[in-house]
Amino acid sequence: MVTLLMDTSNTNLSIGLAKDHKVIDSICYEAWQKQSEFLVLELDAILKRNGLTRKDIEMVVSAKGPGSYTGVRIALTVAKVVAFALNVPLYLVSSLEALKDENAPSICLMNARSKRSYIGVYDKESVIMEDKIMDNVEVLKYISEHPDYKICGLVSYLGLEAAEPKNLDILAISDIERNFVSDPVAAKPVYLKDLY
Amino acid sequence: MKHTFTSHSREDTRKLGKIIASLFVPSDVVLLRGDLGAGKTTLVGGVAEALKVNEDVISPTFNIMKCYFKGTLPMYHIDAYRLEGQNIELGLEEFIEGDGVTFIEWPQYIEPLWPDEYLTITLLHAGEDTREISVESNSPRLDKIVEAVKEAF
Repeated sequence: MVTLLMDTSNTNLSIGLAKDHKVIDSICYEAWQKQSEFLVLELDAILKRNGLTRKDIEMVVSAKGPGSYTGVRIALTVAKVVAFALNVPLYLVSSLEALKDENAPSICLMNARSKRSYIGVYDKESVIMEDKIMDNVEVLKYISEHPDYKICGLVSYLGLEAAEPKNLDILAISDIERNFVSDPVAAKPVYLKDLY
Repeated sequence: MKHTFTSHSREDTRKLGKIIASLFVPSDVVLLRGDLGAGKTTLVGGVAEALKVNEDVISPTFNIMKCYFKGTLPMYHIDAYRLEGQNIELGLEEFIEGDGVTFIEWPQYIEPLWPDEYLTITLLHAGEDTREISVESNSPRLDKIVEAVKEAF
């Protein structure tokens, strides 16, 4: 029995299988505008190469946004369908939290365009700052005020550097109560920007 | 910088597209203004030809956006006509600030999504197949595109 992990909230496609909170296999690559074409094929491929069928999926953990408008909807949609069809538990995790370093207070960042960022601050399982949109000027100020926090995410747009995110490793340990979804059919992506 | 000239045919308008096509870099944005039938789609068709997109360009009024990935530079063609007064986020900024050149028809309906620097091309009917076309830039880098147009027309 395995946990299915998925994240397509940015330009990458990430899919993995976990056992006992550890990733046992994964497929990750850049797939901007192609995530919807490839995700279900990769789901099939990763099960097959591990000698598994869909009946072996005992839990689904997916990123839910914020992130790319279309991207956040792809993994979430597949996660909802799989959890509903197999009647297994569904956990949805902030796409920002998925970028965190599991051992350090982390400022998790993503480009929200128009000189803004999606930002969320996490320390292990606790939420220091809820996910929100912030002007990049304010983001840089927040970072300078918290020199002991680790910067996580794809942050080259801010002229910063960060370690490669380990999003699937984080998803593998994110089946915690605050991420549990009691009604998969009603689950919605988190976009944060609804109007401009 | 602004340059205004007269296009005497569809071919002239297409030629304008071909001239500017080679000068675009990722994240460039062109605001297209002009009445129905003024040649906005014809112009984008000229760009597509020069970028070797190898697909017919049709107006994206119904689709809101059409993506052309096969050329030498990704090309995005947005028609914001149906977005008037909606103010809804559709993720268009991921393309506008993305890896290609973006043309926006009826740009006034998505003004909050405009980048700081952009080119504005206005096409006006001037009888029969004649059009008065102006190309305007609001940044030194894009001035080079206006200069290239000036040289050709």
